Amino acid sequence: MKYAFYPGCVSRGGCPELYTAATKVAGRLGIRLDELKDVACNGAGVLPKYISDPINARTLAKAECLGETLMTICSTCTGVLGAANMRFKADPEYRDQINRDYLAEEGLEYKGTIEVKHLLWVLFEDYGVDKLKAEVRRPLRGLKVSPFYGCFMRRPPEVVTPTKEYAARKSYLENLIDAMGAELTDFSGKGKCCGFPILTANPENSLAMTAKHTGEAKQKGADCMVTPCPLCHLNLDGQQAGAAKAQGSAIDLPILHLPQFVGLALGFSPAELELKRHLVSTKEVENQVSMLA
Amino acid sequence: MEVTFKVYRKEPGEGTKPGRSDYKLEVGNDATVLDGLLKIRDEIDGSLAFRASCLRGYCGECTIRANGKSCFACTTRVSSLTQKTPEVTVDPIRNMPVVKDLVSDWETFLWNKIDRIQPWLEPAATPANGESIVPDSVMADVRRAMSCYYCGLCDEGCTVLPIDFGFIGPAALTKAYRFVFDPRDTKTKERFKYVEDAKGLWDCVHCFEASEHCPRGIAPTERIMELRDKAFQLGIQNPRAARHHYSFVDSIKKSGVLDEGKLALESEGLTNVKGLMHLLPTAARALRRGKAPIPYLHPKSPGAPQVRRIIEKAEEKNR
Repeated sequence: MKYAFYPGCVSRGGCPELYTAATKVAGRLGIRLDELKDVACNGAGVLPKYISDPINARTLAKAECLGETLMTICSTCTGVLGAANMRFKADPEYRDQINRDYLAEEGLEYKGTIEVKHLLWVLFEDYGVDKLKAEVRRPLRGLKVSPFYGCFMRRPPEVVTPTKEYAARKSYLENLIDAMGAELTDFSGKGKCCGFPILTANPENSLAMTAKHTGEAKQKGADCMVTPCPLCHLNLDGQQAGAAKAQGSAIDLPILHLPQFVGLALGFSPAELELKRHLVSTKEVENQVSMLA
Repeated sequence: MEVTFKVYRKEPGEGTKPGRSDYKLEVGNDATVLDGLLKIRDEIDGSLAFRASCLRGYCGECTIRANGKSCFACTTRVSSLTQKTPEVTVDPIRNMPVVKDLVSDWETFLWNKIDRIQPWLEPAATPANGESIVPDSVMADVRRAMSCYYCGLCDEGCTVLPIDFGFIGPAALTKAYRFVFDPRDTKTKERFKYVEDAKGLWDCVHCFEASEHCPRGIAPTERIMELRDKAFQLGIQNPRAARHHYSFVDSIKKSGVLDEGKLALESEGLTNVKGLMHLLPTAARALRRGKAPIPYLHPKSPGAPQVRRIIEKAEEKNR
């Protein structure tokens, strides 16, 4: 199994532990990652489509040259690249125009032949959950985990669940928690927005959203939360202290990146997965995991 | 079939406590929730208040929550809600103050917010023959937005409104789209001044909940994204949003990838000492953990020159 790997800006910047964990887990599972090193940020929903579509066509063309599905480790990257890919596939005239106006000068062309998938989707749809279960060396028994998807892993339906056969994508995280031997702590905010997109525009609202979700999961008894989105992590972990201060009570809920959570079950140590880089202490989770070893 | 409707009740006025009334009734197998509510009002309890008009899913008046899910009472069959238990809970939609029972206050919820975007066309002088001829293709998306009948389901599903009731919400922003993208309108820049106000366009988290909740296929989130793109193209007027967006694009132009440190500083404003001080606690914690991106020293993507060429060309074409 091999993929054109698009790590995204945050895993190379604000959350370097995500890159470490993802590459380690992929290596252990025998998933080859051909990293796309000369491509651009996809715009993250901040850049207008008239700028992001041409630069994303270039990224997709680079993956197409490798003949591989483009794999991300970020919900937002998946959503933005996936939506652009959908437009290019649905409208060959538009794709031709982008190729002609922007890519031809570099000798590139995107033909619309590849798929965009998050690591979470790869694990369930390509690798297989039974095979993944067989790789578990340390079932995370007793660890209570809440899922947090990130908007782009749930919506819009034309990107996330284009046909009925993809409907299960909305419950992959819950299934993964079960497959890794952990205990699901479900809560109502798992498919909602973390607040990160308005951290600059309206920090009060952004922090209130973070406090609401982390607080609810904690109150339901979660030991930690797992997310496939590093932008959510920047808020849920990075801004949790500020969110707790704003609401006037402590939260202290560790937030694990998806590959860190899988990595713990595969037998990697918390140090190997760089849990110590988190802003919310992961000590309690590490203690629980160490007792399972 | 016999079914129990458990209906939210509240008397008008501030400070009145909400409750729930249970009504046992007999309804036909094809009865809708609205059929049940009408039967309650006509035969059991005339004091129950709710809204309804067309009875066929066209007017958007009877929006409620049935068994916790937002819907139209007139198109939701009771039988679809009673598969597990013969009970239906009926509540008013979320994010809106209740006037009485299932009747919500649309004035503060929606009409005042729509007023904020100046919801009327501002065309140039009327042509001599009295008609403004517009190509059909140009109006396709605008017409879709015009088909909104203000049922409130997009605002009901909004992620921001439960946190901040002052947020303008997707319904009013879709209304703004309807005028901004109408080729006859001549006041786009002026309209954006209101659309970009505090608690306006830039407070939307673009979570796509509004699109998922819209029963008309208008896709309000996509319309909001197009409004943002248009604002970017014309020059963002909200200073904070402008700093953030133009720093973002500058970063991609320079290095191909996002310089998160530079973005954080420039979004606050390099001369905004108070704003920069706010960043310090999180930055210090991140530094201690070895994960604070160092501003302006971000590594470049080897493809940065090509990316810059593409962005400059796109900006030129859309100027």
